[in-house]
Order: sequence, then structure tokens, then C-alpha cells
Amino acid sequence: MDKILVGLKRVVDYNVRVRVKSDGSGVETDGVKMSINPFDEIALEEALRIKERGDANEVIVVSIGNNDAQQQLRTGLAMGADRAILVETANHVDSLTGARVFKALIDRENPDLVILGKQAIDDDNSQTGQMLAALWNRPQATFASNLSIVGQKATVTREVDVGLEIVEVDLPAVITVDLRMNEPRYVKLPDIMKAKKKPLDQVLLGDLNIEEATGIKQVVFEPPSERQKGAMVDDVAGLVAALKDKGLI
Amino acid sequence: MLVDDLKSIVGPEGWTTDPGDLQPHLTEWRDIWTGKTLVMVSPASTREVASIVRECHKAGTGVVPQGGNTGLCGGAIPDQSGNQVLLSLSRMNAVRSVSPNDHSLVVDAGCTLASIQEAAQQVDRFFPLSLAAEGSCQIGGNLSTNAGGINVLRYGTARAQALGLEVVLPDGTIWDGLRSLRKDTSGYDLKQLFIGAEGTLGVITAACLRLYPSVKGLQTALVSVDSPDGAVALLADLRHRMSDQLQAFELIPDRAIRYVLRHFPSARFPLEPTSPWYVLMESINSDGNEQLEHQLLACLDAGLISDAIVAKNKGEADALWGIRHAISEAQKKEGASLKHDISVPVGTIGDFIRAADVAVTRHLPGVRVVAFGHVGDGNVHYNLSQPAGTDPASFLAQGEALASLVYEVVAGLGGSISAEHGIGQAKRAHLLQYRSATEIHLMRTIKAALDPENIMNPGKVI
Ligand SMILES: Cc1cc2nc3c(=O)[nH]c(=O)nc-3n(C[C@H](O)[C@H](O)[C@H](O)COP(=O)(O)OP(=O)(O)OC[C@H]3O[C@@H](n4cnc5c(N)ncnc54)[C@H](O)[C@@H]3O)c2cc1C
Repeated sequence: MDKILVGLKRVVDYNVRVRVKSDGSGVETDGVKMSINPFDEIALEEALRIKERGDANEVIVVSIGNNDAQQQLRTGLAMGADRAILVETANHVDSLTGARVFKALIDRENPDLVILGKQAIDDDNSQTGQMLAALWNRPQATFASNLSIVGQKATVTREVDVGLEIVEVDLPAVITVDLRMNEPRYVKLPDIMKAKKKPLDQVLLGDLNIEEATGIKQVVFEPPSERQKGAMVDDVAGLVAALKDKGLI
Repeated sequence: MLVDDLKSIVGPEGWTTDPGDLQPHLTEWRDIWTGKTLVMVSPASTREVASIVRECHKAGTGVVPQGGNTGLCGGAIPDQSGNQVLLSLSRMNAVRSVSPNDHSLVVDAGCTLASIQEAAQQVDRFFPLSLAAEGSCQIGGNLSTNAGGINVLRYGTARAQALGLEVVLPDGTIWDGLRSLRKDTSGYDLKQLFIGAEGTLGVITAACLRLYPSVKGLQTALVSVDSPDGAVALLADLRHRMSDQLQAFELIPDRAIRYVLRHFPSARFPLEPTSPWYVLMESINSDGNEQLEHQLLACLDAGLISDAIVAKNKGEADALWGIRHAISEAQKKEGASLKHDISVPVGTIGDFIRAADVAVTRHLPGVRVVAFGHVGDGNVHYNLSQPAGTDPASFLAQGEALASLVYEVVAGLGGSISAEHGIGQAKRAHLLQYRSATEIHLMRTIKAALDPENIMNPGKVI
């Protein structure tokens, strides 16, 4: 195949404790470590492995967001992607808008495969891949933990509630990846150097001629209520007494 | 009599004489020192500590304070007589107060180091003391050993974090010195006496500690260097290039990496495992512009380093630190080991390692040196693993001879035989040997003035 398109979303680092801004307008990102959405990093790793096996010619990484997302794209280039596209917008991008952006880029680039994370850890929506497949009218294989490509077909192992499901899809297709698919590579310094010379195109979201979805409005952000401390009881009688005490039975 | 009095001071929750319960408190981490005790008491308040010490003082019975028992010199282990009282601070583990704007907090001595880091984080502050044992060691132990760890380069040792102390003196008097003053020149700075005293001058019951602004953005990198001299040169170079934004700089030999990979199958090492030495470093990246990355590129061009990776997320950074923190455990699994926690002037680290390697290898061919540590502090953990496939006991029997060889090299370079682990019972003889008569006399004078009956941790340090 020729091209693989991979999405890289800039999110608060997985290991950072998320704080809600005091005015409830969003999540604090000022001075907070930002990284590639971990599922997206796995998606990129898989695309790179496909390319390294000789099954693809080019891996293109895409991010939608403000200018800071260049940082995540540069990391993607350092991992081994060939070029990057930043679709710039200052607005919150919901799943449908994201899917429309990818569809617009697909129309330009004609990739054979789009690999996305199964979800982004900020909104946790798990929708963009599915919506994109519908807009594109191509097959989808979500929650993938294994992927092999033969000719114009991909065989995908999906992690589903009851176990593993193996499906075959015709390419082009959208695949979204799960955590167990692979372990992304570390980035070596000389590769960071090389990445600086790789092309990074910037397009304004407004110039893509897509309609930005307006169905979802973010109203207010609140931290979850704090969990109460657990207590140990000695036996069943103690448990019953404790529950009665709290008026729960 | 005494034991009954102590039991009534602490109540039924606060003591044990059960051999099973006592066992982990009477054995040091590497099973090198063991002891016996009359009773282990675990007081719940400073008052209870004071009452215990007062009773022991009356009875002329020795008191051995114990924190997390992670110390490496046997300082927290009572002697073999069975006549000493073991005083555990574990139940005194409350954070008493946190003052974000004063950048300070007050904690009980039994708080684990990790819990203090956590308390600071809760209010968006940073408590910099950090070491591999942080989940178990206690701040009282850290202060009593003047512990160092990985962030000394930028923030100093435990001593530098202490603004004030509360101490129970050897006669049971409580000294409340819990002041949070940054400046205080009113007389002798008494708290300094108890820091690094390893429990020989009193029991630390609480501390007022310095907090720092939380660090926004850290970058972590692992690089290959050809030698310890190369690491020293790299450190000097980077400190200048980066206006001192480095906060950790750890030298790791390839042997340590091999041990970790062998004993921790889930560990992943991201560089080609072909370099003799590696450095794990961390720098502040507050403006988010990846200083470390840029400067390391320049170092790569200049030939100061041969390979490098920069963690691209916190998970990777944690995994790299995981390797560093696993070295002690991995070495334990390689058989018997002898540890030498030494410091020398930073610029002589390479000379030290070279000379010590020659000396110990000549004495015991096949001995496996694992020299790692905090380059910026001139602190090398010069640890020796037994020659592969030999008898651990006969190796350990060489401990004194090997230590003398190592310490001779240290002394020749103007270094210290104990950088951050203390003296305990392990290095008492060496202390006498390597500190001048004047220094020893001063130490004995202080001990005699504060603890004339020799109640506090007898047989340790001096
Ligand atoms: C895996 C590992 C890694 C380590 N890494 C480092 C490192 O990087 N840097 C470093 O400096 N050290 C390191 N250490 C050793 C270090 O000395 C201890 O971890 C720590 O400082 C001791 O704290 P503790 O609470 O365990 O004290 P303990 O071992 O319980 O006691 C140590 C000494 O302090 C005395 N003491 C304890 N609490 C009190 C108190 N409240 N009042 C008076 N005296 C008291 C004891 O009597 C004893 O003499 C490491 C240890 C391990 C096991």
C-alpha cells in the first residue's frame, strides 16, 4: 500500500493528575506536561511497523488543535513518520468535527489505511474512528490488538467484551487501536534532529471547507466528588451492622 | 519493671515482644545486622516518646530509634544484648500542617518520605528529597542520616530541607524548635546537631520542612558516555549551558543495567546496550521549549555523548527511573554484596573509580564492581558483588579488607567514607580512622554534653 494516515492528539500526559480550573471553564493545561494521546502513539507505532515491514511507503501524522500540537507532531516525526499535517484551530474539536477533518484530509491524500487510537484520554469519547468510517463509507475495525496486512485486506484482532474477535476488512479502512497492540518505541536524539528537517504542513481548519459540529456545548467542568475512605469490618455481622448504621439497609 | 512502665505509657496498641512481629524490625534490609530487644514500643505522640525516654533514662537503658528501617549501616538495629529498647516512630505519621504560602509543612517524624512528597503535591508544591526507599523510609530517619538521594544537585540533602525540629532529648525533655524561619542567627543552630546524628543525641519527633514551587515540566534523558570522566565533563558542560536547570544526574555502569535486565524481565532498556557507562538526567523545562533536548544535540555534535534518548512522556520517564531505582534490588539478587557509600571531589570521580577498581581486583580477582551514583554530588555507591559462583560467606569475610582498600583511595583524594548513608555500626572503626583526633574529640564532647548517660542509640556512630 502507499499511504497510512495516523492521528496524534495532544492531551494532558497520562501520568499527570488532572486538575479542573478554579473557574470551571476547563481542565488546567498551563504548565502541565502534554503528550501524545497514548492510544495514538500506539497507532503510530503500528503504522511504522507496517512501513518497516515493507507493506507501506509513507506514514503521515495529523493533529488537530492549536500551534502547540506541533510538538506532538515533531515527536511523531522523530519516531519515524515521514511528514506531518497540523490542522489549526483554537476551538474545542469534538468527535464529529475531528472525523470531518480526517475525511477532508483523506480526500486530499487518498490513504489506504487510517489508524487512530480507540479513544483520546481527555474526552474519552471513542467516536472519531467510527464516525470517520461512516463519512468515508469504508470498513472499520475498532479496538484492535493485532493487525496483519495481506494485499488489499487487513486481518484485525479486536478486543471485545467477550474475548477476542478476528475480522477481515477490505482496504482502505479505518482501524482504531487498543492498549495491548504494541509498545511504542523510545525516541533517539539523532532522530529528533532528523525530524526537524521533515515537512510539517499547517492548514487552517477554516480552509478545509468543512462544517464544524455544534451539537455539543461544554457547559462546566467539575472534579468528581472525593471518594470516602473504606473501612474494614471483622465479619458478616459487622458488615450488616455497618450498613444499617449508614441507613443503607 | 521498666518494660511494664513502657507498656502502660503506650497502651496495648503500642508495644510488642512477639518474635514474629519483631523480626522485620531486628534485621537490616540486607540481612547483615540483626539484634535483640527488651520490647519494641511504638508511641503515638511526642509526649509518649518523652515519657518512654525519661523512663529509660531513669533505668539507664539504651533506646534505639527506628524509622522505616531502610538504613544501610545498621544504625536502627539494637545490639545483641537484648537489653535495649527499640523505639519505632511508625505510628507518628500525621502531617501536622501545610503552609503553601510559607512554602513549608510540619510533619511527624514517622511520615514516610513518599507521603510528604504527596502532601506537598496536594497543594501544588514540591518536596525535593527523593530516594529509592521513599515508600518505606521516614522523614525522621532521613534527617537522622542526613539522606541525600537524587535531587541533591539542585536542592541539597535532607539537612537543607529542615527549617525546624522537635526533638526529645536523652533525659526526656521535649525541645520544640519547630520554627519555619529562613533566617535565624540567634545563637547556635541547634537543629543541625540532630541532623545526621543517627539517633545518638535524641529522638526527632517532628520536623518543619521547606517546600518549593512545583516544577512545571521536567525532561528526562538517558545518554551513553564513554567513562566517568566523560560524565563529569558532560555535567559541567550542561550545567553551564542550561543555567543550572539540571536537577538529577546519575551515573550508571553497564553491569548495573545487565543486572536489572536479568532480574526484572519487564524492564526495557531503550539504548543500544553497548556503552560502558550511561547517565540518567532530569532537567527543569518550565518554559516548555525542550532545553535539554537542544543542549544534548549540541553535546552529541561535540562528541561528549555517543547516544541519547529523551523521554517523550511521563510514563517513559518513570520507566527510566525504574531502572535506576532497581539497581540495589537487582544487585541483591546477584548474591552477596558489599557497599561503600563514598564521596570525593566531583572532578576526581574518574580517578577514584580507576584506582579503586585496581585495588579491589588485585585483592579479589573476579570481584564485580557496580559503581553508580550521584555524579553532581561527588557521591559514588562503590558496590561490590561477590565473584560469580563463589561462596557468599567467604566473600563477606573479605569485607573489612576490601573496605580498607576503597577507603584508602577515598582518603587519598580528600573524600569521605560516608556520603549519605551514615556511620551506624558499620563504619564506626573507619570513622575513628579517617577523621582527625580533633574532630573525634569534638564529636565525643557533644555526645557527652547532650547524653552523658549514653542512653541514645548506644554503640552507634561514635
Ligand atoms: C533501596 C534503598 C535505596 C537507598 N537510597 C538512598 C539514597 O539514594 N540516598 C540516601 O541518602 N540513602 C539511601 N538509602 C538509605 C537511607 O539512609 C535510608 O533510606 C533513609 O534515610 C533512612 O530512613 P529510615 O526511616 O529507614 O531510617 P532507619 O533505617 O529506621 O534509621 C536510620 C538511622 O536513623 C535513626 N533514626 C530513625 N528515625 C529516627 C528519629 N525519628 N529520631 C532519631 N533517630 C532516628 C536510627 O536510629 C538509625 O540510626 C537507601 C536505602 C535503600 C534500602
